[in-house]
Amino acid sequence: MSYKHIIGVFDDEALLLKAFRKLKKNGANIKDIYGPFADHDLMKAFAPESRLPYLSFVFAVMTIIGAFGFLYYTAVIDYPLNYSGKPYFSFPSMVVVLFLLTILVTGGLSVVTFLGRTQLFPGKEAKMPDPQAMDNRFYLVLDQNFNPEDIKKWLKESGAEDVLEKEIDF
Amino acid sequence: MEATYKPSQSIKIATALMLAVGIAAVVVGFTTDPSRTWANLLLNNMFFLTISIGALMFYSLQYITQSSWSAMFQRIPLALGAFLPVAAILMLLLYFGLPDIYKWAQPNITETDKLIAHKSPFLNVPFYMIRMVVYFTLWISLGYALRKFSVKEDQKADIKYYKKSSFFSKVFVFISVIFFSLAAIDWIMTIDAHWYSTLFGFRVMVTSMYYAVALIVLLLFFLNDKGYFTQLNKAHRNDLARYLFRFSIIFGYLWFMQFLIIWYADIPELTAYYYPRFVGEWQGFFYAEIVINFAIPFLALMSDEIGRKKEVLIAISLLLVVGLWISLFLQIMPGSYGEIRFGFVEVGLWIGYAGLFVIIVLESLSRSALIPKNHPMLEESVHHHL
Repeated sequence: MSYKHIIGVFDDEALLLKAFRKLKKNGANIKDIYGPFADHDLMKAFAPESRLPYLSFVFAVMTIIGAFGFLYYTAVIDYPLNYSGKPYFSFPSMVVVLFLLTILVTGGLSVVTFLGRTQLFPGKEAKMPDPQAMDNRFYLVLDQNFNPEDIKKWLKESGAEDVLEKEIDF
Repeated sequence: MEATYKPSQSIKIATALMLAVGIAAVVVGFTTDPSRTWANLLLNNMFFLTISIGALMFYSLQYITQSSWSAMFQRIPLALGAFLPVAAILMLLLYFGLPDIYKWAQPNITETDKLIAHKSPFLNVPFYMIRMVVYFTLWISLGYALRKFSVKEDQKADIKYYKKSSFFSKVFVFISVIFFSLAAIDWIMTIDAHWYSTLFGFRVMVTSMYYAVALIVLLLFFLNDKGYFTQLNKAHRNDLARYLFRFSIIFGYLWFMQFLIIWYADIPELTAYYYPRFVGEWQGFFYAEIVINFAIPFLALMSDEIGRKKEVLIAISLLLVVGLWISLFLQIMPGSYGEIRFGFVEVGLWIGYAGLFVIIVLESLSRSALIPKNHPMLEESVHHHL
């Protein structure tokens, strides 16, 4: 679905940050920011604290328990083999496998979770407000439902190079 | 920012008292059980030497990687390295106790022990002392060079001192990687002269930085409480926590690799080392070592939110001081003294050494400005943020 959006075009990320803070304070609905490079201040201001690390920890704990169960089942219950006189259940030999399985499964699940949450998949077409948006300008995309005239005024005041109105799909 | 730290009178008195306790422990130790005392002297030498070398390696790494975040408090690792000359004297004094610690140093052992006889071209007392002198000469002279250029930079703003420091850092890391690994092999691994692990020297060398970072954290927050380093912020604490976290993983990895290969291969000469530790009476220390040095720091510092809290950092660092002691106790005692004994000699000697270490480090800190004045990355360090 395409809606009309207000887009502020900025030359400088510091100006954008200033405009961002002002708009946020006044309750404007900021949809997204596009830029040619990552800016930590912007990212911190815009994005809420990611909960993905906590979920990764849960994945890791689950994987350790699952992998331990798997190793125990294969090495002790289902197919016990005597390796150089060691007991069937010998934890040191499991550590490396547990470690690697945990990294593999946690990494994979985290990627899948991330892609699912952000609704991305390989080959997805990028949603760009403007073909230039990744080249040399910063784009601040706003919902126009909340007094658009004020938003345009504020954008201009805080140093936006240009203010566009465009129908984009979000 | 111009402040210079001066240790207060009460600290001087406290360290003097600690030193007195240490001397009392030496006297009591030598009258009751010389062998146990010698082993403890070696343990404490290694304890504080590990921190000194690790701190200077940390300092050098900051130059090699051109890190800016640590420029503000780089005098702290430099001061921790000031213990080296004292450590050298204390280590050379071990000459008189070598047969009590090392089996290969006992007279006439080569006649009964073929393996030691085979290794005797390397493991003999004169060559051992020569190597010790070489190691210390290199470390002390390079440590002196690092300090000289850092202090000179204070007097005259010139990028050439930064470049000189950077050059000597590279030399120091090169030298200490090779010679501290060799020193660990010489001074600890040869206690069990029949046993060897190719990972041993490397493990001790790398993990020395772990404990050095812990001491840097403690000293930094001690000075911060006294009103210095007011610019210390969340980002610095975050980076220190990350340092400790990464090193906890490295510790766990190397510790386990050394164990796993010997456990799996099950070769009698090699498992002889792990038998008393893994299933024998030293088992408690064996598990305590890995829990304290790896499991607790790893779990506590996993989240940046928790790890960068000042209280957590200090608690983990204090835990690591205990961890280093247990780690060295487990490496030195079973082969040299052979019994688990924990009493006044152990505690008193450690307290004495700690007193000496603290006063030397604080005196060294007070000899120059606490924050380097003309370091090119100082501004960046003060305004460090994530």
